[in-house]
Amino acid sequence: MTDDGPITCRDTTWLVSDARERPLAESEKKALAEHIASCSLCQGASRQFEVLFRQLGLYLKGETPDA
Amino acid sequence: MPSTALDLANDIARYRPLLYGLALLQLRDKTAADDATQETLLAALEGAPRFEGRSSLKTWLVAILRHKVIDIIRRRSRPITVHPSRPEAELDISAFDALFDARGCWASPKDIWSDPETVVERVAFFKVLEACLTKLPPRTARVFLMREWLELPSDEISAELKISAGNLRVLLYRARMQLRLCLDVGWNGL
Repeated sequence: MTDDGPITCRDTTWLVSDARERPLAESEKKALAEHIASCSLCQGASRQFEVLFRQLGLYLKGETPDA
Repeated sequence: MPSTALDLANDIARYRPLLYGLALLQLRDKTAADDATQETLLAALEGAPRFEGRSSLKTWLVAILRHKVIDIIRRRSRPITVHPSRPEAELDISAFDALFDARGCWASPKDIWSDPETVVERVAFFKVLEACLTKLPPRTARVFLMREWLELPSDEISAELKISAGNLRVLLYRARMQLRLCLDVGWNGL
């Protein structure tokens, strides 16, 4: 993203991924937060990513139940 | 807790398939995955007297494996390039076009996921997650796990796999998007 204008749902998915690689700029954080606050679909999607990242972290640490 | 050294050795050996599976997911090379597993089991047996049970045995073994896998990657005298059969396909994000409408909005409502809680739910979840990780294209999976599991710096991954920073970003994005989608179908749809 090169400007501070409104972002799309699709843009938010890039920011959610980038946030795991680098600290987001203040303008990016703001744009992300504002978009998610106003978009129920993105609230659902970002919740899904949170669950995914949290559970992936457990999996990669071996913190899984023995089947 | 194991009561004897023999019990502990048996318990350690029980995790061999799990360790091998994880090593293979990362290394995508059966010989290298076997080496990593073997080295982990040996290190665990040697270190067993120092295993104090502060973490679970499995967590301890996976942590040892992680170091062994990093060693193996760094020990390679030359970068090993996994040539994707269709290199451009792995960088193509148009596969996600169908998820969004023309204005870049999500095209369909998103179910609200909850973390799996009971043992049964967790077993089912991790089974699907494992299957989804296995389904990622080999190079995408390698790059993704180098970041998320091995936590190697991006520049090291770029050098090891001979890819640009921009392509690395795209591969990581694709991996995360594909995993979410795969879980949405495979787990949420259960």
